[in-house]
Amino acid sequence: MGGKVTCTLGEVKQRADFIIYWGGNPAECHPRHFTKYTLMQKSKFLPKGRKDRTMVLVDIRETKSVKASDIFLQVRPGKDFELITILRALVKEQHVTDAQIAETGITREVLDDLVARMKAAKFGCMFFGMGLSMTRGKHMNSAALLTLAAEMNAFTKFVAMPMRGHGNVTGADVIMRWQTGFPFGISFNRGYPRYNPGEFSTVDVLVRGDCDAAFIIGADPGGTMPQPAIDHLKRIPTIVLDPHITHTSKLARVHITTAAQGIAAPGTAYRMDEIPMPLKPALKSPYPSDEEVVRRINEAIAKKPFWIPEGSMPQMLTEQV
Amino acid sequence: MLRITGGKVYDPANKIDGQIKDLHIDSDGRLCEPTSEGRSIDATGMIVMPGGVDVHTHVAGGAINFARAMTPEDHRRTQAFIRTKTRRSGLGGMAPTTFATGYLYAGMGWTTVNEAAVPVLSARHTHEELADIPIVDKSTLTLMANNEIMLDQMEAGEYERARDVVAWYIWAAKSYGVKAVNPGGVAAWKWGGDARQLSSPIEGYDKITPGTIVTQLARICDDLGLPHPMHLHCNDLGAPGNIKTTLDTLKHLEGSRAHIAHSQYHAYGGDGWESICSATAQLAEYFNTHPNITTDAGAVLFGDTVTITADGPWQHLLYKLTGRKWGNLDVENETGCGIVPYTYRPSNLVNAVQWACGLELLLLIQNPWQVFLSTDHPNGGCFWRYPEIIKLLMSRDFREECIKKLPSNIKNKIVLPEIDREYTLSDVATSMSAGPARALGLKQKGNLGVGCDADIVIYEQEDDPGEMFAHPRYVIKGGEVIIEDGEIREAPDGREYIARPFYDPATNDFMRPLFEDCYTMAFDNYPVEMERVHGASIHECKPGDAS
Repeated sequence: MGGKVTCTLGEVKQRADFIIYWGGNPAECHPRHFTKYTLMQKSKFLPKGRKDRTMVLVDIRETKSVKASDIFLQVRPGKDFELITILRALVKEQHVTDAQIAETGITREVLDDLVARMKAAKFGCMFFGMGLSMTRGKHMNSAALLTLAAEMNAFTKFVAMPMRGHGNVTGADVIMRWQTGFPFGISFNRGYPRYNPGEFSTVDVLVRGDCDAAFIIGADPGGTMPQPAIDHLKRIPTIVLDPHITHTSKLARVHITTAAQGIAAPGTAYRMDEIPMPLKPALKSPYPSDEEVVRRINEAIAKKPFWIPEGSMPQMLTEQV
Repeated sequence: MLRITGGKVYDPANKIDGQIKDLHIDSDGRLCEPTSEGRSIDATGMIVMPGGVDVHTHVAGGAINFARAMTPEDHRRTQAFIRTKTRRSGLGGMAPTTFATGYLYAGMGWTTVNEAAVPVLSARHTHEELADIPIVDKSTLTLMANNEIMLDQMEAGEYERARDVVAWYIWAAKSYGVKAVNPGGVAAWKWGGDARQLSSPIEGYDKITPGTIVTQLARICDDLGLPHPMHLHCNDLGAPGNIKTTLDTLKHLEGSRAHIAHSQYHAYGGDGWESICSATAQLAEYFNTHPNITTDAGAVLFGDTVTITADGPWQHLLYKLTGRKWGNLDVENETGCGIVPYTYRPSNLVNAVQWACGLELLLLIQNPWQVFLSTDHPNGGCFWRYPEIIKLLMSRDFREECIKKLPSNIKNKIVLPEIDREYTLSDVATSMSAGPARALGLKQKGNLGVGCDADIVIYEQEDDPGEMFAHPRYVIKGGEVIIEDGEIREAPDGREYIARPFYDPATNDFMRPLFEDCYTMAFDNYPVEMERVHGASIHECKPGDAS
């Protein structure tokens, strides 16, 4: 178990005749996903577009996305992991009891039909949202779905992809990975990157009160994080770079207004399939870009004494401690 | 301004083989006529070579970055570089981070690297990563052999059109040349298939076969006058008995230049995992009689690594064989990509054969200007383990010691025990620097003649070549002393080499509708802007240059 079997969105547009959205509501959260990539596009392999594709939606409740789907599976809340595990078993023709299936809120007939369709597809793609990755089971749910996609390749072509959130989350992931080896949850307090989600993730550091300053860019934790984390942000010098007034900017010691990326500032955003898209500003802004502000802060810091005294640490550790 | 005096110089490009010679460097970082100005390094008793050139490595871009994400457990147990006022922190290991990649290569005396597999769609990302790899100079190769727009032109018999399309893509990616991976096989993988021999039409096409693609793409690279010939990862990688496919591929290349990547993975006999054996003697024989073709070893070292390749179908097979993590990323219209962590074990018969095959090719191909040191990093082993390979090549006794640890039933499967050859220092300098630089068409690299880049590595002579090559006393890059006494002193930014081949200006209009059909980004946003390439050095291609 582990890894990710995926593709760029153009492959979905060109080839995917079977699409599953799991724990997401693209009609409202990714409104152009259907038209640009998954459902409405025609291609040389799918000349009839929507008619050549089947769309399955799995969610705990009826959302606006149901109308776009051919098949809707209403899974019982908190039972996603069980349902995926049952599908992994059914795909391999392993025995699953009626009681196990009943727990998920879906019938055996529906699941048998789903498995038959998945195997008959030429190119299947599963998109999963926060309804899967942020509910009971969390990353275990994502791992199970990714494994199902990998295992489907014993029968036909299948891929999976997370539906990423707003802003440039993917871009932050990608760059942190090439610079530090890790996507998030990184501590530099020993002079080199260490990773431990649950310990070094922003929310954990804030809740424990471990940091004595915060620099926030492209995010609004004041609106999403638990109260103890927000309380700590209020206690320490918090600096926010944001084009708008946000929950976080209101509690911050310093708010530097910056130009909006892609509207008034150039840059690069990484799409959910990790393809970099250049941003070309349409407007001019009186405010500096985030990049400009960070560069100037960096230059000012470079004039101060370095926090690791010269010669106090080796250049390289052959083994980490 | 710098002088290096009294060292034993190994400069194969100028036929200097261990003579004592002084080197002089001007203020532009190039080797120059004798001067008495500037700092002087006394290299008496030391060995002086041109800085290493890696002809085939994977250090930047979507694939290696995917591998980084998949192997956090390795990052925790590897070398860590600590931040200083002028240097960034980083981690080494199987898939090193960008800053660490620069420090590790330079720390070992390598000063130029060729990132061998870049999809155009994510080339912007690759260039941004390369900008974060300090010290070394860089180049990239664009993945072309499964590009459906190009394949459609070949299917229609439109050779000139296909050539223009290739040139257009190279310039759009701001890359240096063409990489071909499992021609036709990755396109077939988009439907779960593969292409394991050269003569059947590939999935989705009526006429073109992998053989057609190989022949035409090699000719295109030559016709465009690219500085580096087609860089080919053959069909049927890693499979027992694939020597037949490899030799067949080479026959399809007659009359063209070509570089065969990681040939170790393409030199197996037998007909299954039980009967797999080395077929390097046959492959080496072909190279020995065809001086226009070069290769890199793709040698395997025992231990943990992560395999990454555009060869999607092979990685699916490796995932099924190992049951370990599997990453796959198919790139619209262009290529695929697969990632599987892997451990090469001396006790595993197949791995032992692979280990022997890499060394055999390096030893059996007589001309060191034709076969270069590589592990296909990180596939066969990490680049920072190259000194271990040099030791194996230079010492027959050490090889024998290692062979003793292999399974006893390997005896009739490999020829390594019968090979007496030991690399000389000149052979090493050719295989790690002068040869790959020439194959890449980088005339100013791998050469200590006047006017060339002052990329120089100086070793303290030691009995153990593994130790000697792992710890150079000095590394000089572009005339700057980068490493001194085992410490990084400077970490300047490197250059990036890109090639500009000619194409019919109408190609842009021809590409636009085809592009809009199969891609998902705006046509005008697709080509990488010149300002995204840091330290660009452009090679203007002249058709007919490649002969």
